Amino acid sequence: MGAVQQRGSLTQVELAGITGLSPASVSNIVKELVEAGVLSTAPSTRSGRRAQLVTLARNLGLVAGVHIGTRSMRVALADASLQVVGEQRMPLAPDHRADAGLERAAMLVEEMIAAVDGSPGELLGVGIGVPAPVDVRTGEVSTAGLLRGWDGADVAATLTDLLAVPVRVDNDANLGALAEARHGAGAGHDPVAYVRVSHGVGGGIVLGGSLLHGRGGAAGEIGHVTIDENGPVCRCGNRGCLETFVGAPVLLHMLAASHGHLTLRDVIMRARDGDAGSRRVLFDAGQHLGVAAANLCNIVDPEIVVIGGQLAEAGELLLGPLRTALEQRTVPSVSGPPQVVASQFGASAEVRGALAAALDAARSAGALGVGS
Amino acid sequence: MTSPVLELSRVSKSFGAARALIDVDLAVHPREVVAVVGDNGAGKSTLAGVLAGVYPPDAGEMRVDGEPVRFADPGAARARGIATVFQELALCDNLDVVENLFLGHEPVRGALLDEIAMERRAWELLDQLGASVPSVRVPVAALTGGQRRTVAIARGLLGDPRVVVLDEPTASLGIRQTAELLNLVERLRERGHSVVFVSHATSDVQAVADRIVVLRLGRVNGEFEADAATSEDLLAAMTGARPVRRGGGR
Repeated sequence: MGAVQQRGSLTQVELAGITGLSPASVSNIVKELVEAGVLSTAPSTRSGRRAQLVTLARNLGLVAGVHIGTRSMRVALADASLQVVGEQRMPLAPDHRADAGLERAAMLVEEMIAAVDGSPGELLGVGIGVPAPVDVRTGEVSTAGLLRGWDGADVAATLTDLLAVPVRVDNDANLGALAEARHGAGAGHDPVAYVRVSHGVGGGIVLGGSLLHGRGGAAGEIGHVTIDENGPVCRCGNRGCLETFVGAPVLLHMLAASHGHLTLRDVIMRARDGDAGSRRVLFDAGQHLGVAAANLCNIVDPEIVVIGGQLAEAGELLLGPLRTALEQRTVPSVSGPPQVVASQFGASAEVRGALAAALDAARSAGALGVGS
Repeated sequence: MTSPVLELSRVSKSFGAARALIDVDLAVHPREVVAVVGDNGAGKSTLAGVLAGVYPPDAGEMRVDGEPVRFADPGAARARGIATVFQELALCDNLDVVENLFLGHEPVRGALLDEIAMERRAWELLDQLGASVPSVRVPVAALTGGQRRTVAIARGLLGDPRVVVLDEPTASLGIRQTAELLNLVERLRERGHSVVFVSHATSDVQAVADRIVVLRLGRVNGEFEADAATSEDLLAAMTGARPVRRGGGR
């Protein structure tokens, strides 16, 4: 199953090669799973010989989730039961532009559908997350200056034009929050606060099972909480925002003189290997995040705080100091401080949320035959 | 700051009257992705050829670890830890993945080829690259463009080189394969290799490069820290709209 899901589609012979099972037992297993409705097979040819192409069964159609990040995008394809059938990451240029980014995303979606032997008509809806506040009613980026090249971009309309399906747009951290609260580390808790720490810092709040958006989609935007009134000027134009202390450019700049040109992943790997400078940078970032998260906790009083984004891969190196700072600053409760945990879906949290949003979009457009 | 693994200073190369490279300086540091961009005829492929040891430079010096070198042939470049994957992949269509990887330097056990060791090493390399090749025993003719390029890169990695030179790696690839290739470049860097990424596709280059060197008509017409360069800067340097020489602070 894992082999099929990873590769989208492959022949029975290839499947035998990968799993190390004999072709006969692969054939039997596939037959059983087809009867159970998990896989489907189609006759095909490979190198001129007849072959059975094996794919995951898709009963109702496909939905696509797109996560546009500051430096990379991730696209996932799933069936209507949100079983992921394909996932692809692609690095992006700094300061990428909305039109080029959305065009690449649309092309990726089309090629991924082709790779699982689907037809473009099977696509029912697309969910997309962008790293800036989004007005979910119009599908437009609602802030200026937070995502250069995307100011006021009409993401929903552009993507609908390209792919001709209903599109739902939201802030990426909001989608990550949705995924973690529904299916991930926050499942069974309410409210759930999610903080995404990558190149920038974002956040989302899930209250009673649904996302808190606020007036223009900026609710939960924890990266722009003031932690030093007289601090440096942020890209948003205000002063002393959390992001001016823990955003990737700041962290990398702190190490530039001693360590040279690094990426966020380099810092995490070096910290794990015991590099003192990298550890210090992560420790300080954890403390700053803890202060901001404590303020959020004092207002929302969540049961659980889920930390996602690339920096969460540092694990306790980041979460330890974060937890201490948070516990020192939240109102003491008889049930103890809120839990602080790392995200379950990791780098895929946002794209998982985008898939859920895509399914919602398809449902409200009546594509699943059960309108809401 | 670390010293460069590979350094070119004032390297020139002419083909008859055509001056393909003129006084080119280039430094590649450990674990660095250096992109070389330029328009058609800017000298990109000649530069890749010089690095690979295919074209000996007419003038200038080439240093590996600070030591002057002169490559007589591609084998000499490989021996110094520089592997080049060209636009034309030079794979044998009728041979399978394992045969292509080890062609010319097959490991032997007694009088026989060590097929098991070869197959194991082939999977190891392809896994490192995160490749999705269905089987190492299919002829490469049956693979997609992206998979063939991965096999070519895997072959380049066999001698555990320090610098991998990729000449136009995203040319003629679909978007999904391009995404895979860019991920692969990031993975090479994470594994400690330096990469020279020669391409004219600026958006691909900007996505993964640490530093970008722009060639125009055989000369270096600009050098940028990748996260500070906009595509307009690069375009201006490629077309010569305005002369630029920026960044390169080391």
